[in-house]
Amino acid sequence: MSEQTSLSPQKPLRTWSRYSFPESLWSFGTLLAVLVFLTYSLYFLNIDVLMMLGALGKLVGVVADRFYPPDLAYITDPGYLASILDTLQMSFLGGIAGVFLAIPLAWFSAWNVTPNRRLFFPLGRFGVISCRAIHETIWTILFVSVLGFGMLAGVSALTMFCIGFAGKLFSDEIEAIDMGPVDAMRAAGANPFQVFLYAVVPQVRVAFTGIAIYTWDVAFRAATVVGFFGGGGMGWYLKRNVQQLENLRVGAIILSIIAMVLIAEFISGWLRSAVNRAK
Amino acid sequence: MSVLSVRNLRVRYSAKGPEILKGIDFDVESDDFLAMIGPSGAGKSTLIRCVNRLVEPTDGQITLLGQDVRTLSARELRGLRRNVGMIFQEFNLINRMSVMDNVLSGRLGYTGNIRSLFRHFPKEDVHRALDYLDRVGLSDHVNKRADELSGGQRQRVGIARALMQQPKLLLLDEPTSALDPKISREVMALIMSIAKELGVPALCNIHDVQLAKEFCNRIIGLQDGYKKFDGDTKTLRDSDLEDIYAMEVL
Amino acid sequence: MAVSDTHIASLSVQTELRRKRQFKMLLFWGVFLAFAAWCVQGTIIEDTDWSRIGGRSGVWASIGRYIQIDWGLLPELLVPTIETFMMASVGTVLGCFFSLPVAWLGAANVTPSKTILYPVGRFLMVLSRSVHEIVWALIFVSAVGLGALPGILAIAMRSVGFISKITAEAIENIDAKPVEAIRATGGNEFQVMYYGILPQIYPVVLATVIFEWDINIRRSAVMGLVGAGGLGLLFFRQMNSFNYGGVTMVILAILLLIVLGEVISHYLRKAVI
Repeated sequence: MSEQTSLSPQKPLRTWSRYSFPESLWSFGTLLAVLVFLTYSLYFLNIDVLMMLGALGKLVGVVADRFYPPDLAYITDPGYLASILDTLQMSFLGGIAGVFLAIPLAWFSAWNVTPNRRLFFPLGRFGVISCRAIHETIWTILFVSVLGFGMLAGVSALTMFCIGFAGKLFSDEIEAIDMGPVDAMRAAGANPFQVFLYAVVPQVRVAFTGIAIYTWDVAFRAATVVGFFGGGGMGWYLKRNVQQLENLRVGAIILSIIAMVLIAEFISGWLRSAVNRAK
Repeated sequence: MSVLSVRNLRVRYSAKGPEILKGIDFDVESDDFLAMIGPSGAGKSTLIRCVNRLVEPTDGQITLLGQDVRTLSARELRGLRRNVGMIFQEFNLINRMSVMDNVLSGRLGYTGNIRSLFRHFPKEDVHRALDYLDRVGLSDHVNKRADELSGGQRQRVGIARALMQQPKLLLLDEPTSALDPKISREVMALIMSIAKELGVPALCNIHDVQLAKEFCNRIIGLQDGYKKFDGDTKTLRDSDLEDIYAMEVL
Repeated sequence: MAVSDTHIASLSVQTELRRKRQFKMLLFWGVFLAFAAWCVQGTIIEDTDWSRIGGRSGVWASIGRYIQIDWGLLPELLVPTIETFMMASVGTVLGCFFSLPVAWLGAANVTPSKTILYPVGRFLMVLSRSVHEIVWALIFVSAVGLGALPGILAIAMRSVGFISKITAEAIENIDAKPVEAIRATGGNEFQVMYYGILPQIYPVVLATVIFEWDINIRRSAVMGLVGAGGLGLLFFRQMNSFNYGGVTMVILAILLLIVLGEVISHYLRKAVI
């Protein structure tokens, strides 16, 4: 027995390999492919790796050098403060419009309760996906080219953004409901709209309220930059000062953006927990 | 000289909290298979974790293999820990890793960071791991994931991992509480026979007095942080047991 | 008599309560609508130059310009599309590397110092997420110049917040028992983390990284708008040269890329879980 537990010289050394042949090829192949792809990407994009890794240290230097000290007097200027209010208004309107438009689209694109799987389902899915796929800044540029500079374009862009954002979360939420009430309503002869109102809405109401608040929070973050592309609000000041190389003002604006986003995040977190408590 | 000697051991988890161990003294000799019995909350688990300082004692002295455990630096402590194999109540395996990797992880104290990073253990270690897996009866499960095994099999993996450390002392923290009675007996018998073969003393927390009497040569009874009994298994009387478990009866 | 009295009393209490609730709801919706009206007034009515838009026919005319797709742009699209995809991928991987130390600092149970480094980790997470990717890109363009590099860095920085937050949460929720076991074998801190913690969190982390990569393709497509290469740059050029059909073409390329990303991430996520 003891030769089994202690190392025995007369027995040949048994070997063991963590990977057996076909699986090892598969997993190593994937890993290798990813590494080759990343390396080739660095080469293709002409990236200096050392510069990339050193950029964070450089970032601190650049910020201290160019953006510090921020010109805080600039952001207390009434014109700028009004633009913060504009940003808030845009995010609010965009949020409301987006959420209201997202609800029917989410209903269409939820596989379990969609009114029609062949027509409405792909329509809803396509609507939500294309709103999501295109970045809010591109929406802004497109709307600016159609509607002209100003907050209308910003609100429209944020609306599209919110449809995409809330629509995805809404339809995920609908697909996770308990199907019992849905079947009961269907058995009672309700049409799809009635099923949605009586079997789906009561189950998702609280979750939707939370998502709507979260959507506003995210929309506010997006609203801080739509102005950069002509959509009005704080972003417009950002663009002007970036172009004029007023770095200290840019620093101050970025600081104010961070502060406003944190406040919005705090408010949204507070509201969401209030909604959950009232549930 | 005894392998482990504990003098006046006191433990408090926080300055204001209750004292868990209130001055414990005992020794473990090189041929001991020592059971520590007592009601839950008596401090058995805390005591066993003080030996390799997974829990920091507040007072007292612990001498293990001639070293004063409480004064060791972090590096010296790691060196000491690798000489002490530990087997846990809930096995404490890494569920997402294979049985082999779990067993090999017992060698970490002897392995450098680069080798650990690539999980590339020396050939001798792999060979030894295969031997121990044979010994605990798991040679058919080498490449399975740890969470695919049954409780008894997982504890056998835990035993193999502890053996990989080539321990000079085994600490067993309720090694059978999570297993059913039949498997418990098998596992205890396995641990005891291996400990005998290798000539390693063991210190074992155990809830089941029957098992303790059956497998261990010496018994320590703890109650509420005090030592109530310390002696040869044969000298343990029912009145002693009543004394040790008095709190539980109440 | 007494019974019916209390019955009526309780009924009136109930109606009272219901009235109060109705009043509260009414007040809430009133304030909500008033606020919305104020927003409409401020943005849509005051700030919009309706004459410049040119009425409904003007809007349709503007939209119509986009419908004549410029298929001739097709060969020019290939390289920027690949660039966008690569920027997103490299940025995500880099962001992942930056996230690990941040998550380590910001996870309450493994942070090296609860008083100093834990708040620093938490602060970095919040900072990363509260600065929009466009702003990050502006900062990096100013720091390292034009090209793909600032885009990659901006994507990486923007990803750090989400990845490290989820990772830190995963670390806080791990099972402490295997960690104790590795510590008991005499493993050092690195080995404890690598063998005790990492195997427990990597499925969550990988799923999060894949999710973030998917989002980063969207972000990567606009980095060019502020000087960081990829499809955004092409979009910008087409827009500036009033080639609206080309703009549509770029958008189609973005859509295609994103659908591709969604398909890949769907399969990757399946493989991980």
